[in-house]
This record gives sequence, structure tokens and C-alpha cells, in this order.
Amino acid sequence: MKRRLFVASSLSALGLTACGPVKDSLTNGPFRNVLLSTETLNHAVIGTHGMAREYNERDIDRDFRVNGLDTPSDALYSGLVRDRYRGYRLRVDGLVDRPQSLTLTQLRAAGERTQITRHDCVEGWSAIGKWRGVPLATVLAMAHPKATARYCVFHCFDSDESGTRYYESLDLHEAAHPQTLLALELNDEPLDPDHGAPVRLKIPTQLGYKSAKWVQRIELVADYKRIGGGNGGYWEDQGYEWYAGI
Amino acid sequence: MTTSEAPPRPLTSVMDETPRERVYRHGVVARAAHWLWALAMLVLVMSGLQIFNAAPYLDASDKSNPARRVLAFGAERVAGVPVGTTTIFGVTLRTTHLLGYTDDGLGEEAPRAFPAWATLPGPQDLADGRRWHLTFAWALTIALAAYLVAAAARGTLRELVLRPSDVPKLWPMQLYYFRLRKEPPPHGTYNPLQKAAYTAVLFVFFPLIVLTGLTLSPGVDAAAPWLTALFGGRQFARTWHFLLMVLLVGYFLVHLTMVVTTGMWNNVRSMITGWYVLGEHDGVGP
Repeated sequence: MKRRLFVASSLSALGLTACGPVKDSLTNGPFRNVLLSTETLNHAVIGTHGMAREYNERDIDRDFRVNGLDTPSDALYSGLVRDRYRGYRLRVDGLVDRPQSLTLTQLRAAGERTQITRHDCVEGWSAIGKWRGVPLATVLAMAHPKATARYCVFHCFDSDESGTRYYESLDLHEAAHPQTLLALELNDEPLDPDHGAPVRLKIPTQLGYKSAKWVQRIELVADYKRIGGGNGGYWEDQGYEWYAGI
Repeated sequence: MTTSEAPPRPLTSVMDETPRERVYRHGVVARAAHWLWALAMLVLVMSGLQIFNAAPYLDASDKSNPARRVLAFGAERVAGVPVGTTTIFGVTLRTTHLLGYTDDGLGEEAPRAFPAWATLPGPQDLADGRRWHLTFAWALTIALAAYLVAAAARGTLRELVLRPSDVPKLWPMQLYYFRLRKEPPPHGTYNPLQKAAYTAVLFVFFPLIVLTGLTLSPGVDAAAPWLTALFGGRQFARTWHFLLMVLLVGYFLVHLTMVVTTGMWNNVRSMITGWYVLGEHDGVGP
């Protein structure tokens, strides 16, 4: 009996030590393709349908949580903040017939939508904010996308410690959703630098990492494979799903 | 006890050395579903804890709200020494090394709710944790649907669903398990406690853990806002999801204990080949 106990405990100790390498090879080995393929299934089954719930004034988090990459501190962005974004232009280009270069005044004049929606972070937490801005669809329509355009890619001012630029992308179906917003205000104030000033994306039907802050340029493309790491976004290049509705 | 479905056992089998009667108890779908569930449970619990570690707290609310916090794990320094804490309904316990401040999977300890040995992948990796979780959630759901259809077709479902007439027999059966009663109350293939457990797992715990999991998705919330409302909001759904995991792990441990204590080899073999040998443990199985 004692010997049996010894063998059993040695085996379980061996099992626990071997666990790390086993988990690693399962995650990164041939099985990885199965893990990755589920995203297509989830996208097909859940997709983007219906409207995200809109809340009341009393539900708003006045101190809206800041998360993600650090606020850009380079000369270009600092200069824009100092100049109160007077020099800011949102470029809309790529596969479009009429490339745009829009000032904040022009953006405000293009259309207006206010929504109090919940921001669901991939980490698991949620916060509610009041977002005001221009529907993305309105801005895209101004540029007249070509028939070959399938995605819009958001190029941002921020980058991580290694200098990798933040970017994101949506397909034109998600971009056309009425709640997909280019937000200019949060909780009745113009966006502050920490929340993505002067223009950020806000898409309440997907997880928070899709809502790119500090948007500089929107590029319409047929495919995002040649941009950044090729997965359609900064976090997607770190292994997160491109379809972030789940 | 003999089962109600099995033909009467010939007297000779008790009298002499001829092999005891065997019954074909588990169909191929039920067996496949069981092994798939075992694998899916392991993967889902471990990858779920990996995902949980990214926001190691649970609120009984829609948006995150510390005033409605029911469970939280944390780490702090007490006199320069790192301490892991677990706070449940406002009561804080020191759980260093076990919960809150634990092994990070890279050879050190760090502020981390669940230790690396309990998560998949081991080290902090939310992206891959989600990939594992969202893949095996499908495995669990498909196994459940296939099991229910096959069990209904075979007639097994009729034998294992709890009925109102079983309710008065639950406590006598529990007394029998406590060895406070000599004979179990009369029952069919499965005893009243087994039926209660199977009914809860198949029709309450499994469906609810899938639905609460789906409620964490903003895409599902937009498509089915009634589901989010049903569970009291997104964070509340996350709390239910965690609680259901604890209940299912509890069920699994009891289930496994019964497998081991009521003729382990006979039980395991029946879940491989389908054939179960009737004998002393009939009606008190897993």
C-alpha cells in the first residue's frame, strides 16, 4: 500500500510539472487551427444583429474607466492637444471615390447621434458612458466607397512600448450599424486625451478593444492582410479574435 | 435490487459460478458524450479561470459595481510581504499561494487570482484562454444536444428524469447513503437522488451555464436583450456563470466518487463498452 501511495504521488507530481509544457504544446501545436477556426463559427452564428441596449442618464459612470495603451505623448499628438485639435484632420481614403480630410467642425456638422451604452471589456468588466458623435456610416458615405471596399481600417495616433501602431478594422456591415459611432464627446464633455480625443470609435455591439481611440485615418480596403501583423488590428495581432461580438 | 427494465435474473446465476447477467446500459452517443463532457469540463474550467483572472471579481449588477461585489481576489503588501486575499460577501481571508497571490506559471509568484496550474494556458494569456473556452463551449453544447436527443430516442431519458412521485423518496435514499437505513426505497434503474442530480445537470445547470456564458457577449446582448435582463445584467450573468461552474464541479466530484465506490471497473467499463454487470451495487451507481 505504501509503495502504491509513493508511485501515485510521484506520478501526480510528474503530471503537475509536465502540465506546463503539455498545455503549451496543445495551445500552440497543430490543435491551434481548431482553436482559431471557432471564431468563424461564432461570427456566423452570433454576427451583428439587433441594437445594444441604451441606458438612462442615472446609469452613467461619471468617472469612465481608462484602459488599454497609454495616451500618446509624441510631438504630433501633444501638438494637437496644445492646439486644441485645430490642426486635426480625419482622413478617409483608400478604396473611395472622394477622399475626405475633415476638421472637427465638419465632422460635427455631418451628423449627430447620442447614445448611452455599456462598454464591455474583453477582461470581463463593464462601464456605462454617454457617447455623442457622428455615425460612422455617415462619414463613410461622404467618401463614396468603391464597390471593392470590404473593410474600413482605423489608423490611430497611439503605439505601444515597442513602437507598434494601434489600428483596428470593421467590415462594412458592422460599420453600417446605426450605433457604430465616431465619438467626439463622453458624458457631455469633449473627449479628453485619456479617452481617445479628439475622435474615437465606439461600437457597443462588440468588445471594447474594437472601439479604437485616437483615430487619425480611416482607410477603406479590400483586405487587411497586408496591414500591421495582418490580423485586422493591434489586439488581433496579439491573438485576440477579429470578430469581437463574443 | 434488480432493475425494472432488465429481465428477471435466472436463479442459477446466484447459485453457481456462471457469469452474472449483463445489461446494455449506455448507448454509443451517451458514452461519447460522457468522455467529451469530461474533457470539455476540464478545459472549460481551466480556461474559464484564465479568463476570470483578467478581472478577478464578481458583481451582482449589470455594469461593474464595487458596491454590489460578491467575490474578489486581490494582493497587497503587509509589512513588506506579499499577501493574497479572497473577499467573499465582504469577509476577507488570507489565501496567499492559493488564491490572490499565486504561481504565475513562469517560476514566480504574482498578483493572480487562480494559480497557473489551475488555468489554461498556465501563464497569463487571456487571448488563448478565450480561444480554448469558446471552442470547448461548442463541444459541451453539442454533446448535451446529442445526448438529450439520443437518450430521448432510447428511452433512457424517461428512466432518469425526476418525477413528483420520486420526491418523497429523496430523503429515505439519502438516509440509506448515510447508512442510517438498511434498504434503499424501491426505485427503477436510477434511484431518486441520481434522478434529481441528472435532472438538475441536464436541464438546469448545463443549459444555464451556456446561456449565462452567451450573455457575456455584447453581440448576444444586442440580439437577445431579454436574456441579459433575465440574469440581472452582464456582470450578474458572469456571477451566475461562475456559481454554475462551482455547482457542476461539485456534481462532477460526487459523480466520480460514486463511480469509484460502486464498482469502479464495472462503471468505467460500462461507459466504454456500454455493458453493465448487474450485482450488489445496482441502483446506487454514479
